[in-house]
Amino acid sequence: MSISTAGPSTPSRKRSRWQNSDDDNEEDQQLIINPVKRRTKPKPSKEPPSSSATVALPNIKIQGYPIHSIYVPPRTHHPPITPSRSVYCYERLNQIEEGTYGVVFRARDKQTGDIVALKKLKLDEEKNGFPITSLREINALMACRHDNVVGIREVVVGDTLTQVFIVMDFIEHDLKSLLTLMPSPFLQSEIKTLMLQLLSAIKHCHTNWILHRDLKTSNLLMNNRGTIKVADFGLARRYGDPIGVGGMTQLVVTLWYRAPEILLGAEKYSTAVDMWSVGCIFAELLLKEPLFQAKNEIELISMIFKLLGPPTNNSWPGYSSLPLAKTITLPSPHLHQFRQKFQYMTTAGIDLLMSLLTYDPDQRISAEEALDHPYFTESPLPKHPDLFGSFPSAAAGEKKRKVFDSPSAPTRAADYKLLTDFDM
Amino acid sequence: MAPTFYPLASVSQIEKTPSRADGIPEDLEEDLRAYGCKLIHEAGILLKQKQVAVATAQILFQRFWYVSSMKTFGIGDVGMGALYLASKLEECPLRTRDLINVYDLLQQRAAHFISLKVDSNNSEFKYAPMSYFGNTFYDIKDVIVVHEMQLLKRLGFNVQVVLPYGTLINYLRLLGLMAREDACTRAWGYLNDALQTPVYVIYQVPTIVCAAIYLSTRYYQIALPSHPPNRWWELFDADWEDLWSVCGYIMRLYRERSEEERLRVVGLISKKGVRSWLEIYANSSQQS
Repeated sequence: MSISTAGPSTPSRKRSRWQNSDDDNEEDQQLIINPVKRRTKPKPSKEPPSSSATVALPNIKIQGYPIHSIYVPPRTHHPPITPSRSVYCYERLNQIEEGTYGVVFRARDKQTGDIVALKKLKLDEEKNGFPITSLREINALMACRHDNVVGIREVVVGDTLTQVFIVMDFIEHDLKSLLTLMPSPFLQSEIKTLMLQLLSAIKHCHTNWILHRDLKTSNLLMNNRGTIKVADFGLARRYGDPIGVGGMTQLVVTLWYRAPEILLGAEKYSTAVDMWSVGCIFAELLLKEPLFQAKNEIELISMIFKLLGPPTNNSWPGYSSLPLAKTITLPSPHLHQFRQKFQYMTTAGIDLLMSLLTYDPDQRISAEEALDHPYFTESPLPKHPDLFGSFPSAAAGEKKRKVFDSPSAPTRAADYKLLTDFDM
Repeated sequence: MAPTFYPLASVSQIEKTPSRADGIPEDLEEDLRAYGCKLIHEAGILLKQKQVAVATAQILFQRFWYVSSMKTFGIGDVGMGALYLASKLEECPLRTRDLINVYDLLQQRAAHFISLKVDSNNSEFKYAPMSYFGNTFYDIKDVIVVHEMQLLKRLGFNVQVVLPYGTLINYLRLLGLMAREDACTRAWGYLNDALQTPVYVIYQVPTIVCAAIYLSTRYYQIALPSHPPNRWWELFDADWEDLWSVCGYIMRLYRERSEEERLRVVGLISKKGVRSWLEIYANSSQQS
């Protein structure tokens, strides 16, 4: 029956697993659905209690009914179970960076020629099997597919069980090095585009119950087409509502981007910690340098107090109940200093920044609310990503074009006098 | 936004599982799958692990047998690896030491069960703790870690699992069945029992949930619109034939098993057992 036709169609699906998961055509669905049924039919031996229904079914199907709800997509939209491929499907090009978590390589897919980033996981000294952090990272990337989240293609393995590589789309830049390299800061219109992209990625993660917990400019990648991608989910994890008993670790988020509630030892933090980091990134885009460049936690807290003014019962009702609140002496109350720090921002811009950098996690703006903020609809409007300039990629090994030197004076000019003298 | 879907076995994977390709009969594979899931369940209870982790482990375990053969991997080893892995996925990691102890206990229990039947000795089961200087601990630890990795590798690291409980509650509310606590509990029970079958790797969650409600309402003789054009499961995008097939899988679990069959599965907890069984089975089928 249809099994013979389904045979050849399956391997081709297997190969295209990462590219087109949702553009199977009707024919394909038929091929896959039918044999499953055929197989199951002969099984039940007892007479179905409402056997009349079974008879009537084919008619209804021909009329194109029932129509599937969007919550129950056709079965063919589910990927098959596919074992990991070998890392030798990729050709190694160059090393991009080495972090505490592992090495990142640039590589080429031998089949398709696509350039990808291979992140090798460090598994050598694992006492407890596969590290839960790497599991979280892979799961978060798979659960949060989005235009502004770096795309995970697959996970491949080497010869031994300790060699595991995450294959991701290769993105040319990270925002951090871009900010330090580019001659002038981003324009307001560009910042708006970047912020909208960042916020929609974060909203997507949060609606999928994933906290990123390490948002910072060096974890935001940017391609040459004006699109940023959130990367490095190495500290990400699933959260629940309410947060489960036991709470979560406070050893998260790079210091400069760490929210005050984590600094003060809160065990039950949530999406708001990511939003604080977004606020820090927003400020960094405006200032072209990190907002809070503190050396340690205490210095960071005092810098936050200085910018926001010390917390009050009004601005942060839960402050006094935080574990570490008693160990800190508040400075004398003063008003926030956002206006002094960001002199050229519009009122709406300052308002968004202050909503992100709000003490009380419950009052802090959510990603969804921030996307509707008036800042994004006032002039200048967000710039279309296509209009962004492109830059040479350090990760791809491209050299920065030599800084344009003004032409030096003709060498002979210095001798001009001599020459003329001589001539004379 | 492209939604992500949990993986399901493809047709060719369902048509011929690797175990069947290795000569393991279909009914034996089904029984071994169920027995492996029971081991996971037992271990989960002994470890006081959350049901979400146990259910996730059972689904990963079921998926694994669509890409690997029971001749290559033992059901006990894969089961414990799956529980270890699922506990991390559900953010309630197990202490390796605890899982090792429990696995050792379960293996001894199985061995005792066999000796009870085969040698007809009537001694009560007594757990003999592993020796302090022995290698048992490290051996089992290696086994668990290796099988966790094998699960990840062979499932392509796609270990997303969608559990059916939330969907069940939604459907029961929609059908106005919340007042019938007995029917709800029974449907919930069917969902849990279905974890011992491969249905979670063959059908989508709504179909399985409908099957559980269907079985439960039939049991309590609760009438729901079941004739065209108003058939309640169509509201939830379940096809009758799929639903009926899931019911078949679940009901087969409750089939009365002969003493011999029960003994057979317990003896095949390891791949060694499966291999020697296959040799004998192949020999005897050649003779006949």
